[in-house]
Amino acid sequence: MPIPFTCIEACDLSEDGKSELRLYGASGTRLFVQSSSGASAVWPEEADVRNDEENGEGPPGKRVKLSDPVENTSNFSCLTITNDKKHLVAVTAEDKCIRVFSIDSECRIKQLSERCMARRPCAICVTADDSLILCADKFGDVYSLPLIPSPEDEQQPAAPEQADVPEESSFVPSASVLTVHSGRNRKVLEAQLKQAKKGPKKPKEAPTFKHDLLLGHVSMLTDIAYAVVDKRSYIITADRDEHVRVSRGPPQAHIIEDFCHGHEAFISRLCVVGQDLLVSGGGDPDLFVWDWLHYKLLQKLPIRNAVFEFMRAQTDLASTLPEDVSSFKVAVSGIWSVPHAQSDVKEILVACEGVPALFSFNVGSSSTTGQAIALSGNALDVTFVQAGTESTCTAIVSVDNAHMPGSTTEIRKDESAVRLHFFSPQSDGQWTQAAGAVQQAFEGLGGSADKPTTNAKALHNILYGVENLRKRPGSDD
Amino acid sequence: MPGEPAKRLKREEYKNALHSEENKAELPKKRFYRQRAHANPFSDHSLQYPRSPADMDWASYYPAYAVNKEIEMTEGESHDHDQQQPAPTPHGPISKQVEIADIGCGYGGLLFALAPKFPETLILGMEIRTAVTEYVQEKVRALRTQHLSTNSYQNASCIRANTMKFLPNFFKKGQLSKIFLCFPDPHFKQRKHKARIVSYTLNSEYAYVLKPGGVVYTITDVEDLHKWMVGHLERHPSFERLNEEEEKSDECVEIMRMETEEGKKVTRNGGNKYVACFRRIEDPPWP
Ligand SMILES: C[S@@+](CC[C@H](N)C(=O)[O-])C[C@H]1O[C@@H](n2cnc3c(N)ncnc32)[C@H](O)[C@@H]1O
Repeated sequence: MPIPFTCIEACDLSEDGKSELRLYGASGTRLFVQSSSGASAVWPEEADVRNDEENGEGPPGKRVKLSDPVENTSNFSCLTITNDKKHLVAVTAEDKCIRVFSIDSECRIKQLSERCMARRPCAICVTADDSLILCADKFGDVYSLPLIPSPEDEQQPAAPEQADVPEESSFVPSASVLTVHSGRNRKVLEAQLKQAKKGPKKPKEAPTFKHDLLLGHVSMLTDIAYAVVDKRSYIITADRDEHVRVSRGPPQAHIIEDFCHGHEAFISRLCVVGQDLLVSGGGDPDLFVWDWLHYKLLQKLPIRNAVFEFMRAQTDLASTLPEDVSSFKVAVSGIWSVPHAQSDVKEILVACEGVPALFSFNVGSSSTTGQAIALSGNALDVTFVQAGTESTCTAIVSVDNAHMPGSTTEIRKDESAVRLHFFSPQSDGQWTQAAGAVQQAFEGLGGSADKPTTNAKALHNILYGVENLRKRPGSDD
Repeated sequence: MPGEPAKRLKREEYKNALHSEENKAELPKKRFYRQRAHANPFSDHSLQYPRSPADMDWASYYPAYAVNKEIEMTEGESHDHDQQQPAPTPHGPISKQVEIADIGCGYGGLLFALAPKFPETLILGMEIRTAVTEYVQEKVRALRTQHLSTNSYQNASCIRANTMKFLPNFFKKGQLSKIFLCFPDPHFKQRKHKARIVSYTLNSEYAYVLKPGGVVYTITDVEDLHKWMVGHLERHPSFERLNEEEEKSDECVEIMRMETEEGKKVTRNGGNKYVACFRRIEDPPWP
C-alpha cells in the first residue's frame, strides 16, 4: 500500500521579485519538499542516493544533495512552519520526538534538533515570536520548549521543581506505617518499602533538555492553539472530556481565564478564525463557533448533516449509511481557516475522518450550511498558498490514496491514485479544481512518498485516530 | 458496584426500605454502602456531569433554595398516588450559589460538621465513588427530615463527581470561597502521581474556581504527601500559604482535624495530622 501524506505545509518564500513556493509533506517516516523552482529533497536522505553520490556515478539530477546521515523509523504525526518561515517543527509519533528542521534557500532539509518527550505529543504550535514550541501531550500537559535551545538550555536539565519525574522518584513513604490506610494502600506501601530496601527503582529517563510545564488537564489533550489579541497572548487547549480551556500565554500560563463550555462529545480540533472567532469540533454533530474572548457560543454549524447529505448523494457510499442521520457519527479531523484577501469573509474548510470530501462553511455573520468539495480519497490535510499574481488562494489537499474512499480500513486495489488535489474558490464562493501554477509546481510531490507498507493495521493507526477518542458508555465504573 | 448478586439484592432491599415514609428520618447504615477504596480518576466511568455550571440542576440538591417552587415532575416520577410517594424534588436554578466544596468527601463527616457552622452558606461534598455518595445523600435526606422545623442541613448536599476532570463543569470562575482536600488518597505508586488531587497543573483549576481571598485547606496523615501538596501549592503563583497565626484563628482547621472520618481514625490510632492552608491571591495584570 502507498503511504499518503499525513501532513502537508506550504509556504511562500518569494522576495525581491523572485517568487518561490514550497510544499512540505510528511509521509510515513519521511519528509519531502518540493519547490516551485524545481528543487526537491527528502529527509532522511536515502541510503542509495548517498551511495550514488559517493561513487560519483551519474548526475544526481534535480535532487539536491543532502548531508544529514540520520535514520528515522517513527512516523510523522504533526508538521508546522514557523511564522518567519525559517524552520519546520515536526513530531514523530512512536519515539515521541519533537524535531526542528531548518529551511534554506537551496531547499535542503537539515534537522537541527530532536527532543524526545516523556509522553506522546498530540499537537504542537509555535508562539507568535517564534521563540517557543508549545507541545500538548496525551497525558494532558502542555510544555514549552525553546525553538532553538541556547547552549545553557542544553546543559541545564529541566529545573527539578518543574519536571515532575525526578521529584516523583524521590517520593519515599516514610511516615505512613503509623497511620491508617485501606488494605490496598497498605499493600502498595509494603511493596514500596520492600522496593526501597532494594534501592530505588530506576526512574524513567527524564528529558534532559529545557522543557517547562505550563498547564495541564486531567484528560487527553487533542489540540492546542496560540493567539495574540491586543498584545495579550493566549493558549487555547482542547481535551477528550469536552473542555475548551482558555489560559494566558507564557509567562502566566498557570492562569485559566475561562472555559468555552458546550460540547457533549470529545473535541479533536481547534481553529482560530480571524482574531476573535474560534471553531471547535470533534465527535458532536455540530461544529461550535465561539466568541472565545468572551467564552460565548455564537453558532453551531451542522457538520454531521453536511457529511450525511454528501455521502447519501454518492452511489457507492450511500449504502454504508444508517437510515437516520441521528445514528450517524462523524469525527472531525481537521478545521482550516481559509486565507481570504477580503477579510470580511470568514471561511473554514473541514475534514472528517474517513470522508472523501471537504466541507466549506462561512462563519460569523454570514454563515452557510456546508458546501461539499468531493475528493478522490479521504481528506487528510489541507494547506493554502497564494500564487504570486493570482489574487485568490489555492487549497492543496492531501488525500488517502491507500484506503478506499469512505473507508478507513478497506485497501484500494489500484495503487496509482493521486495523493494531492488543488482547488481554488471561484467568485461565487464555489471551490473548483485548479489547474494553475501551483499545481504545476507541486505535481512532482504528488508522486513521491515513503516506501510502501504492507502493514495495513499500522497504516490505519497512522492515519485514523480521531474516532477512537469517542467514549464508550458504561465502559467502566 | 458490589459483586455478588445476593449482596446486591440485600442492598437494594435495604435501600428501598429506607425510602418508605416511616423510615424517612432514619440514618443510613454505612455497611450497606461500602465500596472498593480506589476509583481511577483517569477513566471515563459512567459519570453524569453538567455541560457547564449554568446547566447544573442545583435545585434537586438544595430544594429549599429552589427558584421555581412549583414543581414539575421529571421523567420517572409517576403521577399516580396509589403508592406512597416521596415528595417530588424541584429542579432548576437556586437562589444562592455553592461556596464551599469538600473534594473527595468520603462519608461526609466534614460536610455534616460544617453545615450547622455555616447555616447561610451552601456546602457541597464531591465524591467519585457511587455507593459512598449515595450514603452521604441518604444521610442528608435523613438529617433534613429530622430537622424539618429548623431547616438545618438544607445547605449541605453531595454529588458524585470526578473533580479532577470536571470541577469547572460545576463551578464558575471565582465562585468558591473554600475548598477542602482532606486526607486524599496518597497514590504511593510512582506512575500514579498525576492521580494526586494536588499537582501544579490541577492547582490552576482550584485557583480558577476560587475567588481571590478564598482558601484551599489540606490535611493528611502521610508526611510525604503533605510535603508534596505544600511543594506544589507553594510554587503555584496563584497561592500563598497561611501563616501559623492565620491557621490557628480559622475555625475550619480545627473542624477539619477533628470531624473528618479519616481525622477521627487517625486520632484513634494516635497518628500525626499535617495541615496546610493556602490563600488564592489576586491575578497579576497581564504582562
Ligand atoms: C481517604 S478518603 C477521605 C475522605 C474524607 N475527605 C475524610 O477525610 O474522611 C478520599 C476520598 O476521595 C475520593 N476521591 C478520590 N479521587 C477523587 C476524585 N477524582 N473526585 C472525587 N472524589 C475522589 C475517594 O473516593 C475517597 O472517598
